[in-house]
Amino acid sequence: MITVALTKGRLFKDFIKYMEENNLNDYIGALTGETRSLYTVVDNVKFIFAKGPDVPTYVESGVADIGIVGSDIITEDEFNILNVSQLPFGDCHFSVAALPGQESFNTIATKYTNVAFEHFKNKKKDVSLVHLNGSVELAPLLGLSDAIVDIVQTGGTLQDNGLIEYEKIMEIHARLIANKRTFYTKEDEIYEFLQEIGVV
Amino acid sequence: MKNELIMNRLKFAQDYTQLLDREGYQLIDMNMAEPFQIDDKRHHSSTIIFEKNEQLFSIRSDWTRSLLNYNENYYLSHRFFGYFGPVVRNYKTFYQAGVELYGPTEAEVLKSIDMHLSFIEERNGREFRSIVVNDDKLLDLYIEKYELDAGVRRLVYEKNLSELRKKLGGEHPLYILMTAKVSDQIHLVNEEFGKTDIMQFLNHLNGYLEKYNMKFILDLSFRSPQSYYNGFYFQVFLNHDYPLLSGGEYNSSAFGIAVNLSNGGLL
Repeated sequence: MITVALTKGRLFKDFIKYMEENNLNDYIGALTGETRSLYTVVDNVKFIFAKGPDVPTYVESGVADIGIVGSDIITEDEFNILNVSQLPFGDCHFSVAALPGQESFNTIATKYTNVAFEHFKNKKKDVSLVHLNGSVELAPLLGLSDAIVDIVQTGGTLQDNGLIEYEKIMEIHARLIANKRTFYTKEDEIYEFLQEIGVV
Repeated sequence: MKNELIMNRLKFAQDYTQLLDREGYQLIDMNMAEPFQIDDKRHHSSTIIFEKNEQLFSIRSDWTRSLLNYNENYYLSHRFFGYFGPVVRNYKTFYQAGVELYGPTEAEVLKSIDMHLSFIEERNGREFRSIVVNDDKLLDLYIEKYELDAGVRRLVYEKNLSELRKKLGGEHPLYILMTAKVSDQIHLVNEEFGKTDIMQFLNHLNGYLEKYNMKFILDLSFRSPQSYYNGFYFQVFLNHDYPLLSGGEYNSSAFGIAVNLSNGGLL
């Protein structure tokens, strides 16, 4: 049996849609059932549902053999995992956004301080970073920062708060990650799952 | 801590050091406070450093590094050493056991791996599941043969199949190798580089360990967490969780094996 860590957020809906397109009906039935359980088992695969940032932690420790996670999470923090493959869903991007007419960015509010630090370091810009846990669009509106670094999918949230994108930092996709030990010790089951979902 | 764990550790230490003594290894014990070397800190950032009488010292964090430093500073009359003892990383003490072989022949390396496997098999009475091996120089052979840029190295290390496909194309031999089941990789590498010294050694090892009836896996993504290993590297698994044995080649002419004494290891 292998364990696959999923997140119940935005990526989950995209993953279900991807499985529908690829006729993986056995998995869809079990994953979309009305239950508050944090795991479900389909044949030889146990799916666990975790918070997005915790998925790589489960995979790194070996509690989960495989994880499906946004590349934003494994870009922001380092994990000792195999970063196996981009998946064809969960597309969005990191951007620098601010109010229209903002001339310089000196203070940046973000949940992703490492991504923001690397971006401005590469541009040789000395900025102050303010870490927030969410709703970062508030920061420039209330004068806490000049700009934000955040994930942009459709741009709707920015628009609703009167912000515009200034710089696109990098693309984000869903990725399949794997544990560095069980990739070898459970290779048959893992390879079968990778084939089923079209990674190899 | 449970009494049983402490007694198991001491029993293991006795059995293991007796084995090494019988097989001609020089047993060593060293002071835990060592002269500070910046390289040790680079290899193990968790090494604790302290000052005494205006001199910097560190607390032993890795037996292999300690022995290597000793070997570089003093003349040693032996080539094979064995150890059992504590190390400290991030304020936490745990135990390491293992051997270091300086300038061994291929036969001596094979014999030492075999000695460890039969010792563990006798103690545990269970069959090994798999041995995973790699030699960092195999990727160099692919890079040289197909004139690849150094960026490929990182993608192979993290087994980034989607980026490898974008970079090399789906028909490239290195991409085909990396997407094959890991236990099939050895056949593909043998087709290309079977006559090289590296593959000859790995094939000898595969044959030598046949009696243990475990899966022999070669994977170019497989690497040691310790950066000083720079050639052949291996880990042996009894179950799915943690390796029981790990070891490899370092400093060009030295070879070490460590026994896992934590995380569900031998104890």
